[in-house]
Amino acid sequence: MPVLPEYDLTGKTAILATSGGTVAPFLGQALAEAGASVFAIARTQALLDAVLKSLPQGSSGAVMDAGVADSAKKAMDEFDRTHDKVDILVNDPRSMFAKPLEDIGVDEWDAVQTRNAKAPFLLSQQVLPRMAKAEYGRVVNMISEMAERGMINGSAFAASQAAVLALTRSLAVEWSRFNIRINAIGTGLIDTEGQSLEKQQEELLVRYTPLRRKGNPGDIGPLLVYLCSEFCDYSTGQPVYIDGGLNAHP
Amino acid sequence: MLESLSLDGKSVVITGGGTGLGRAMVRDMARAGANMVIAGRRTAPIEEAAAEAISLGVDATFVATDVTDSSQVANLMKTCLDRFGKIDVLLNNAGAVSDNVRKPIWEHTDEEWDRIMRVNLTGAFYCAREVSQTMVAQEHGKIINVASGFGLRGGREIYMYCCSKGGMIQLSRVLSFNLARFGITANTIVPGFVPTGATDTMAASLPRGGEFLPTGKLGKPEDFGPLAVFLASPASDYMTGEMFIADGGGLAAGIYPTGHAPVIPLED
Repeated sequence: MPVLPEYDLTGKTAILATSGGTVAPFLGQALAEAGASVFAIARTQALLDAVLKSLPQGSSGAVMDAGVADSAKKAMDEFDRTHDKVDILVNDPRSMFAKPLEDIGVDEWDAVQTRNAKAPFLLSQQVLPRMAKAEYGRVVNMISEMAERGMINGSAFAASQAAVLALTRSLAVEWSRFNIRINAIGTGLIDTEGQSLEKQQEELLVRYTPLRRKGNPGDIGPLLVYLCSEFCDYSTGQPVYIDGGLNAHP
Repeated sequence: MLESLSLDGKSVVITGGGTGLGRAMVRDMARAGANMVIAGRRTAPIEEAAAEAISLGVDATFVATDVTDSSQVANLMKTCLDRFGKIDVLLNNAGAVSDNVRKPIWEHTDEEWDRIMRVNLTGAFYCAREVSQTMVAQEHGKIINVASGFGLRGGREIYMYCCSKGGMIQLSRVLSFNLARFGITANTIVPGFVPTGATDTMAASLPRGGEFLPTGKLGKPEDFGPLAVFLASPASDYMTGEMFIADGGGLAAGIYPTGHAPVIPLED
């Protein structure tokens, strides 16, 4: 099976940061399969353990709660103990939340924005200057396609995703002269449990998705690897939606 | 999960495959294992492209085709079916760049408008229409249309090119929505500025070196090879109706504000 060497990440060091959900371990697996060495950052110890389990033995990581002062700096101190450069940053800030507007507590709103929007901002602030010094970097922000479309009860979560999309655009422009490329992957529904097609199609939103199935980690991994590669050089500041056609749908 | 990026045994029809972006895509799709039928108006460049693909270890042939003539399009697709028995991927890359003179709307003739729309949009529609039932019968297929950043933004005195490329983006969306149930996907590659040779009058009118772009450099045809391979491969099976933009950051900010970097303190 000829797979172009352009998609190879051997020798690259990646930081993979997640705020929730079940996809991050598979993102780590894809990066590792492409040859990158991966350092994991997660909002909780349980999330971190799940990501580390998907990585080769000896991989390390750190817990980072973006709501705590200096959290990103402390996570990077941890990173510095075992690494001397960072080529790739993948933010996976998609901690899900849905409630009717009048039921959303201010603390819940703040928590969603902190996990999903503030965490990638803080990590970008730490990592981009390092990449600039090395004059090389690739950043991929995982977002939900709700950055572009509304959903009943989705206001807080959608706002956090749109924030990350806007962050992607502005930071891409601000840092592109240092050979840093910053893009986003927009996702729809993703199944990480291997649900049968019949089971998936019991859900209204799956039947509404043009390709009539959920995505799986194998649908996301290769795109992530390409966007993290040296050869993805002319794309920056853009989302690529891989969502079964949801975004093109009326 | 990365083996899905292979094109081993796939058969691809690409239009405009002899030069520029098309040629770079042919090269990388051949390296990834795809057999190809390469179309273009002029024979010499597509003959060379096919020879290069063969030298990379795949089977390839070429068909001189004017995509604005639907009978020639039918012959192109028949060539692929006769040779490979299937059409896994259609890559609509043909388009007129050299004839896109910039001028005020009142100087456009009916004939000019019709010709550019036919080359840049109608040709892609003919190709998609021609492969559609084959792909439905196969229960799979990928249609990739090449548009432009000018399909999303207005260009100064660039009427025909902007409108036809905007049409390509919509063609992908409409195809994706209607053919998804047959296992067919349709996506759009959206290149920014990529100088492709002496005939490229659009690039000739731009500042040299791409200093007006956020990345500070213009694109190269080679930037689009791995991108085309991704969209042609099973790795993109869950992506449809979407754009893959590669434009040096031009659309993220607009090309003129580059260098505009204000510092404004927080208001009281």
